[in-house]
Amino acid sequence: MAPDQIVFWVFAPVSVGSAVAMLFQRNAIHAALFLIVNFFTLAVFYLVLGAPFLFAVQIIVYAGAIMVLFLFVIMLLGVDREESLVERLRGQRPLAIVLGLGLAAEIFVTARASLGLARGPANFDETVNVGGNAQALSHVLFRDYFLPFEVTSILLIVAAIAAMVLAQRRERTTVEAAGEAEV
Amino acid sequence: MLEAAPEMDWLDWILLVARVVVVFFAVLISVMLLIWMERKVAADMQTRMGPMRAGPRGVLITLADGIKLFFKEGITPTLADRPVYLLAPVIAMIPAFLAFAVIPFGTGVTLFGRHVPFQIADLNVGILWVLAMGSLMVYGIVLAGWSSGSNYPLLGSIRSTAQMISYEVGMGLALVAVLMYSGSLQMSQIVASQDRVWNAIPQFPAFAIYLIAGLAETNRPPFDLPEAETELVAGYFTEYSGIKFAMFYLGEYVNLVVVSSIAVTLFLGGWRGPHPSFVAWLWPLLWFIAKVVAVVYLYIWVRLTLPRIRYDRLMSFGWKFLIPIGLLWVLATGAVVVLPDVYGKGALLTGALIVVGAILVASLLWPLIAPRRQSAGETPQ
Amino acid sequence: MLSEYLPIAVLATLAVLFGVASLGVSALLRPNRPTRAKLAPYECGIEPARLPAGERFPVKFYVVAMLFIIFDIETIFLFPWAVGFRQLGLFGLAEMAVFIALVFVAYVYVWKSGGLDWREPAPRRAAAAPPTALEPEAREVVRAG
Repeated sequence: MAPDQIVFWVFAPVSVGSAVAMLFQRNAIHAALFLIVNFFTLAVFYLVLGAPFLFAVQIIVYAGAIMVLFLFVIMLLGVDREESLVERLRGQRPLAIVLGLGLAAEIFVTARASLGLARGPANFDETVNVGGNAQALSHVLFRDYFLPFEVTSILLIVAAIAAMVLAQRRERTTVEAAGEAEV
Repeated sequence: MLEAAPEMDWLDWILLVARVVVVFFAVLISVMLLIWMERKVAADMQTRMGPMRAGPRGVLITLADGIKLFFKEGITPTLADRPVYLLAPVIAMIPAFLAFAVIPFGTGVTLFGRHVPFQIADLNVGILWVLAMGSLMVYGIVLAGWSSGSNYPLLGSIRSTAQMISYEVGMGLALVAVLMYSGSLQMSQIVASQDRVWNAIPQFPAFAIYLIAGLAETNRPPFDLPEAETELVAGYFTEYSGIKFAMFYLGEYVNLVVVSSIAVTLFLGGWRGPHPSFVAWLWPLLWFIAKVVAVVYLYIWVRLTLPRIRYDRLMSFGWKFLIPIGLLWVLATGAVVVLPDVYGKGALLTGALIVVGAILVASLLWPLIAPRRQSAGETPQ
Repeated sequence: MLSEYLPIAVLATLAVLFGVASLGVSALLRPNRPTRAKLAPYECGIEPARLPAGERFPVKFYVVAMLFIIFDIETIFLFPWAVGFRQLGLFGLAEMAVFIALVFVAYVYVWKSGGLDWREPAPRRAAAAPPTALEPEAREVVRAG
């Protein structure tokens, strides 16, 4: 077997296993930990596919930033002690089934379409990664896709505003509650 | 990706494993010496003797401490989440070691006809690897705090995490500036690009940002809020004892070695330095060690000189000062330092105009921001 | 290309082995005499109790994590740009200047609405809670831990 196949077959079961384990954890923090493991295996798959830049970004952004936010929120809301297992969102289950079926169909179609592409030797270093993965990415991202890139900044602005609005609403209710308690 | 995998015979394997093992234990020994050095320097600055008993001039004190901690009773508090509680110290230690993997600490040596580089792996995404491992550093802390089932560790870990992620942005911006100047993500090429002048001189603001962010990332004084013993007992590792405590301690100091080594590699020319031609492999290594010791000495000096700063000041320094300065410096590097190479001297004027424009825009926006700051500082009547 | 990462895999294995082995060997060799007081969570002079569930931390920590993601993503975009910006030339510089300026708008908004102030905004507290003898910092320490 080629080295990339060995790596894939070592990490694929870990990936699926951690995803399944995450679903069956009752403790929110344990579930988050399995999700981090899953993000890691995903990063390794990017590496196998000849995208070392994405490998690093996957670790930095998903494992390093987004999961920290998840852990913060879990601790902040105090849902880490198996107390709040009541479902707050109604209609969540049927919606999940519909969306899950849709996703499965999408994966099936995509996998069928790309089966032919995956055959045969593919050397990314000589085809797409000319002059290095990051260089190649920089050319594609900042020349061909510069408009989507600029629009991303709008997305970041929206995220910042949303964070502030949500936080201020929370803060106000907290402070008012504290004020009432003190009175 | 069926590349022609470089054929490795048994000698290559032995050399590879030996290289990794030697580096691993070299880092462990350097931590041992570093803790001794810190205690000795602290003692010297406070006109004390410092550790004197274990070994000549107390050099084995860390080893003695380590052995003592190894045989101490390990306590797992009743409210602790056992698996995560045991996992946290290991997680705290590993990213620090892994970050060291990309640092070139010399040119290399020829053994049995094979070239053995003095670097574990020269990744083509070297800087990003460093940043990635740095971002994983928070997990050991956050998990330790949560799993202890106790209040002080929880508060300490949340504080610590907020601090580390806040300064990570500044650190990332400093790394971007270096990257722009050197033109490569690969550590060996960044060192190679400093053959004429160290990056610390043209990239001085980035260097300063990196050193400050490094203080915050390693949770060292004056940014040691997570362990503010007057408020939080011992912060996130309050409930840890014995070998588990030792592992947090080890991780923290490996982290210090790593942060100093990265500062040396990116800003101070790495292993480069004038040296005689005999035993050519040894001198770069010695230069590297000397520079790392100098940076570590600076960190120890800062620790012994400055008092701990207040948490809100720490956070506003990171967010309101380091990040805007870092962003401005990245743009300024792009405009002023590099464009003349591409477009000739005329572009320097354009670059200068852009910088002036940016400063003007910043000063126009300032009145919008400034009143807010004052009112926030007032105490309610 | 994957072979570059082989030494890192070896190092990671070594680090994990070192960590697990020292935990395991130490567990075999050290004494183990737990008592109730030893196993109780650390507390200074009072009965140990967990913080009440919910609202345990100022929402500021959440805001910081959120803002961190935003600026982390911005930094991540800077990396490929920094690698290729010599080839991209003035176009690339202008492009990145626009991007940074736009994110800077978000930054100014957050700063203006108090997201970067670690102390709570004074006017709101004055309206909601009666003045207390505590200084703002002292209050902050109480809440932020």
